[in-house]
Amino acid sequence: MRPIRAPLSALLVFCAATHTARGDWILAASAALNHDNNVGNAENAASMVSDSRAEATVSLRQQMPFGDGFSLSAGGDLSGQIYDHLSGLNNASVEGILSLKKKWGLGAFAPWGRAGISLGRVDYDDGYRDATLYSASLEAGKRLDERWNLWAKYAVEWRRAAPAASDLDDVSSDVFSQHGETFKIGVQYSLSERMSITLGSLLRYGDVVSTTQADAGIYANSKAVAPDPTFGPGAYAYRLLGTTFGARLGLEYSLTAHSLVGCGFQRLDTRARGGTDYGDSMPELTWNYQF
Amino acid sequence: MKLKCFTATLGLVLGCAALAHSAELRVLVKDRNGRNIGDAVVLAVPADARSAQHTKVPQDAVDQVDKQFVPYVKAVFVGSTVRFPNSDNIRHQVYSFSPAKKFELPLYAGTNAPPVIFDKPGVVVLGCNIHDWMIGYIYVSDTPFFAKTGPLGTASITDLPPGEYRVRIWHPSMDRAEEATNRQIVVGAEPVVNAEWQLGLKASFRVPRVSGAASPSYP
Repeated sequence: MRPIRAPLSALLVFCAATHTARGDWILAASAALNHDNNVGNAENAASMVSDSRAEATVSLRQQMPFGDGFSLSAGGDLSGQIYDHLSGLNNASVEGILSLKKKWGLGAFAPWGRAGISLGRVDYDDGYRDATLYSASLEAGKRLDERWNLWAKYAVEWRRAAPAASDLDDVSSDVFSQHGETFKIGVQYSLSERMSITLGSLLRYGDVVSTTQADAGIYANSKAVAPDPTFGPGAYAYRLLGTTFGARLGLEYSLTAHSLVGCGFQRLDTRARGGTDYGDSMPELTWNYQF
Repeated sequence: MKLKCFTATLGLVLGCAALAHSAELRVLVKDRNGRNIGDAVVLAVPADARSAQHTKVPQDAVDQVDKQFVPYVKAVFVGSTVRFPNSDNIRHQVYSFSPAKKFELPLYAGTNAPPVIFDKPGVVVLGCNIHDWMIGYIYVSDTPFFAKTGPLGTASITDLPPGEYRVRIWHPSMDRAEEATNRQIVVGAEPVVNAEWQLGLKASFRVPRVSGAASPSYP
């Protein structure tokens, strides 16, 4: 956890600075239980490893609305994930976020746009996945009425990790440094006063990591390769360039004005260079709370 | 001096006599399943317009607590001034697009927002431009005889002078026009008049306060 202490301290200083600038505190929390049938993104059924994980996030923001519908937000998220079996993937992360939102008009149905940047650090139990995370995003949305809500988001993200220890000399071992661009769209519809359904879709292009048993075909198309003992002896992580298509269907129920519980199902399909294709299915249970 | 004393005494006696003959209208509002409906506004319009004169226009307030308007429904007499104190420790930006009153208060904290005069009868829907889920209603009544039901679905209009009244109900979620609830009620010698309404309510969809797992985060 030592590597995330510095970013955490920076985050606290950042929040305190914005607080003195007279922002409004916003505190939120979320938790989820989910199951991934292909945690390592393996193509072959024999290499697929499934696992369940619990995750929790606490978000703290300072919101500073100012004239003409602009609102500046600064703050951060503190998150953790615990896996049932793959304990090397247990991680804690801290992320600082700065965003500027603009509403074109008054009211809940005014269209809005948001530009944001984030800087984070994630620390894994296995150590070699530890990384610094950077991202920039553009979002826009519009609530059509009390029942329909639409939004879209484009994000570009970078992940910088130290090259993993490797016995392979002819290829980079910098597997966990990645770059990617993601475009998401979503629509939410209120089924009743308390229940809503959300459908989301994503398209991502960039680096992906597939962990599998040694495979000469994947090796030939990889940008980097390194042993990945978290998935067992003989497992290798391959960094490939790929395109991911995803969809998520979720159902949420308002327990109170402050909290939601939900269930969702996400499917991701990736086509990576060299014909490496894999899929992930992830059912999940979620809880969200906003103070 | 004697004339002034006589006039004051006469006024007091007439006033007491009028109060002695005034009645109370007790209303119970239920939905079609027999459940009590709170936040319904009961309005009694006298057939004799003179009964509605000389009414003091009070100053009212709609507070903002825990990022909600409190009360959710406020009934005021036309011409009333309403303040919007902010009891939250964050800023709000209250507005309304309603034809009965269009206004927009600037971002503010505390109690220093200028009061708003509601000079036209009708329903005013309140919102906050920072917190989209906040919604509240001000019913601007064209009669001084009105009340709002509590959680038990009951409301009481006191000091009704004798006479005929057209009584109607309004609720933010009612499934028909307010005029469809009109009923003729006669206030006579009885000190208390009881009446009951049954309203159909439609689903009340509101902007959710909490962002879901896959929804855009707030703020």
